[in-house]
Amino acid sequence: MSGRWLRWLLLPALGIPVAWLLVASLGGSVPRVGDPAPEFSLVTLDGRTVSSADLAGRPYLLNFWASWCVPACVEEHPVLLEAHERFGDQVAVIGVLYRDSPEAARRFLQTYGDGGWPHLSDPGERLAGAWGVIGAPETFLVDAEGRVAARRVGPLTAGELDTFLQPVATVDR
Amino acid sequence: MIPTLGHAAVVAGLAATLFASAAFFLGGRRRDAALILLGRRAMYAALALAFLACGAMVWSLLTHDFSVRYVARNNATTTPPFYSVISLWAALEGSILFWTLLATGWAAVVLHRFRDRVPSLMPWVGLTLALGAAFFFAVMAWPGDPFVRTEPVGVEGRGPNALLQNHPFMGLHPPLLYLGYTGLAVPFAFGMAALVSRRTDEAWLGIVRRWTLVPWIFLTAGIVAGAWWSYEVLGWGGYWAWDPVENAALLPWLTATAFIHSSMVAERRGTLRVWTHALVIATFVLTLVGTFLTRSGVVESVHSFTASAIGPWFAVAIGVALIGSAALLLWRLPDLGDARPPGEPVSREGAFLFNNVLFLSVTFAVLFGTFYPMLREAFSGERVSLGAPWFNQVNAPVFAALLFLMGVGPALPWGGASWATVRDRFTLPLGAFALALAMAVLLGIREPWPLATFGLAAFVLTVTGEEFVRGARARRRTRGEAAPIATWRLASHNRRRYGGYVVHAGIALMAVAVAVSGSFASDVTATLRPGESVRLGSYTVTHERAVTEPLASDPRVIETRAELMLSGPQSGALAPALRDYPSSESLIATPAVRTAAGEDLYVTLLAFDPSGAVTLHVFVNPLVVWIWIGGGVVALGAVFAAWPARRRATAPTPVEAPTPAARPVSAVEGGEP
Amino acid sequence: MRPRLLLASVLALVVATGAAAVLLAGAGTGSDAARAERLAAELRCPDCAALSVADSHTRAADAIRGEIERLVAEGRSDEEVRRHFVDRYGQWILLAPGDPLAWWAPVLAAAVGIAAFSVWMTRSPRARPAASGAPAATPPVADVSRVREELEALDG
Repeated sequence: MSGRWLRWLLLPALGIPVAWLLVASLGGSVPRVGDPAPEFSLVTLDGRTVSSADLAGRPYLLNFWASWCVPACVEEHPVLLEAHERFGDQVAVIGVLYRDSPEAARRFLQTYGDGGWPHLSDPGERLAGAWGVIGAPETFLVDAEGRVAARRVGPLTAGELDTFLQPVATVDR
Repeated sequence: MIPTLGHAAVVAGLAATLFASAAFFLGGRRRDAALILLGRRAMYAALALAFLACGAMVWSLLTHDFSVRYVARNNATTTPPFYSVISLWAALEGSILFWTLLATGWAAVVLHRFRDRVPSLMPWVGLTLALGAAFFFAVMAWPGDPFVRTEPVGVEGRGPNALLQNHPFMGLHPPLLYLGYTGLAVPFAFGMAALVSRRTDEAWLGIVRRWTLVPWIFLTAGIVAGAWWSYEVLGWGGYWAWDPVENAALLPWLTATAFIHSSMVAERRGTLRVWTHALVIATFVLTLVGTFLTRSGVVESVHSFTASAIGPWFAVAIGVALIGSAALLLWRLPDLGDARPPGEPVSREGAFLFNNVLFLSVTFAVLFGTFYPMLREAFSGERVSLGAPWFNQVNAPVFAALLFLMGVGPALPWGGASWATVRDRFTLPLGAFALALAMAVLLGIREPWPLATFGLAAFVLTVTGEEFVRGARARRRTRGEAAPIATWRLASHNRRRYGGYVVHAGIALMAVAVAVSGSFASDVTATLRPGESVRLGSYTVTHERAVTEPLASDPRVIETRAELMLSGPQSGALAPALRDYPSSESLIATPAVRTAAGEDLYVTLLAFDPSGAVTLHVFVNPLVVWIWIGGGVVALGAVFAAWPARRRATAPTPVEAPTPAARPVSAVEGGEP
Repeated sequence: MRPRLLLASVLALVVATGAAAVLLAGAGTGSDAARAERLAAELRCPDCAALSVADSHTRAADAIRGEIERLVAEGRSDEEVRRHFVDRYGQWILLAPGDPLAWWAPVLAAAVGIAAFSVWMTRSPRARPAASGAPAATPPVADVSRVREELEALDG
């Protein structure tokens, strides 16, 4: 009777979802400090394409934000403006829209000041997913070798900016 | 010193459980009683070691030993002793430690209790439980070490998770839930043992029924306590959000409930062996899926511990448990008899089995709803959500059908029902159904599910009541006992059955309360300056003043209270608060709840400003308290059902011998060999 | 088979009541506030874990609630309001998305389960002593069932 061996087909059928769980839990482990940063190639609000390859050899600060994230993103914005102004020559600042529409983001920048750094659209939150973003705002620092140097969940404050950038920038006051 | 001892206990526990596994395996194969005794003693030692490790952790927490990373992250010098102790299960590593204590505890109790019984099963039961415990010790020895030290040692720790130190219920809800989760390894172990030793007769089923019911009680109580905690602490006025982690607790509950019902049919009819084994396996694997969901960081949830490296460990454990047990089941399939239908569709067994189909439908829907967003993102890259509206709409019809069956099943006799029986049993309950429906419509209820729930709950309660009345009346006639005594003796002579009816009544109560509180809650949000008030229904809430001060029990926590005066059907002072915990980025709401039999008045403080103005969210939640009361009734009924019956002269020994009384009945009606 | 007839009529009664209730319910929803509340319960709060906008009071949830109220006051239809938020936040914002797979998978699973069960239960012809052979209520039904219960009590 064919049923005698056919039933063993159940095992691979059960194995597939479990294997998927394993992959999900491995992939789900977000990059930690010291791990290679996820690669990306995304379109900015003004239509240019920026990719991680463009930034090779240069440290960058990746800031996930959203116009709806009030007050945290509003409070954080001047800190980013300061970071761009003081350290922009050493560290590239890059914004990533987190579950936000381009129009709303542009309005936000008009209201609170556009520092001139690129803001990437992240459709489907793929980059946010790759980084394991918990919520806006969230900021990552990537060093010149393309490795994660620091992570901050929640808004960066003016007081901690220098410490945050210390791993990649020469901070002297 | 003490943390080092704890770590040593973990490593020794791993060694003890591995040793026990080997001893049980060899002892089982060689039928060597000395080896099995050795294995059992090693498991007692594992329990002692897990206890020692937990003790070391509690000691470190109580003495604020910040050289231990877990303590530094989850404790502060100002943490009150009670919350220091319960911090044992408030975060990832500690919860695994606590889990291990409970798992080894269940293993030791079972191995001790059955030390002289079912000798053919016990080595394999021991092996399964020992391997399970070894896994948890291994997790603590490698990726989830609770005793990792920090250097340099801080003078102050971060303090416990704010949400978890906000309500004493945190001391109750996780232990109950974990007792349920870990206890469900026992039926799994017996199921595996029955398959390995080819003793898949009623012996394992008889044991497993009770040993599923006991963890089921804990799991049920844990789920209800969790809903209650969520209601009292989270401040959103609700108690169930279909959050992935809530679903994780519900999933094994559903399959365990299905098992409790189909095992009755299986025991009586001697069939359904494959099905009952599959349910036991599914229940255990789903408890692992639950821990995986909570601890791997793969889903977003209010309950999730921080993402950690133990996710892959659990995924592998799920794979080993699922594939291993399924392979064993498939291998033994020829021993398990064919899957003949056990009887008539319109019979009690028909209703029980249909109930299984429905329970598994809900299980599938909940599992699907929990993982679908993840799957969808993996395959199409698009993020979607399935939340409460989806779960409610998908599950409401099935829950209504289950409620209906809960009334039908007990009223139908085993074997099959004649027309006269059906008419006799259902006239009154259907009358109650129609009456309740008419009353609900007259009361102005128009929404379909609350209406259906009302009617069906009346149906269930009438059937259940009739069962008691019928039995007690027969007893009164034949033995001349007074009604209360007749009822009590009736119930205590068949605890499983009448305990089950009490559980059904409790579920009917909860169903009505859930339907009503879900459909008829009203709420209002208002910003009030001192002296102003807001009305909701027949209540008036007046804001008197806002007070900001450090909490007496922990001065690092700053509490802002809105001192309110309530008038209406309930009256008195109320003080919802927002607490600022140093360990939390956002303020934590502490709602004020005023409970009466009919409805709760529930006030959350949303915001305040320096002028003393406060923003309040006021809810009137009808019948919510009956959810907790219903949960209590369910637990009591289940405890009554699980309580060991006093040995009567006529009672057959429950273990190792199939109960003789069931055979003649089934032989007549089902044509058993 | 008369018991089946009765069971069928009971089921029909339940379904009919359900259907009537659905019709009655459809007539009931009207006011702007109720609509806004219902829509808020369908949208996910962007900055909390698993709660709807209706259940949350984060800044984002409050902002969305305000926007729903504005859109409802402008006379937009439910579908237009949902579309508005999907355009801003993506499908992710809907707690019960219009995703056919999400709705049909559980229904299909339940249907397959029920169908397989029905086929299995009615598959093989069996002796049916209890259903057909019960002498038409000569001993009172209550007594027959009493005997059964006493038998059951023995295996308690």
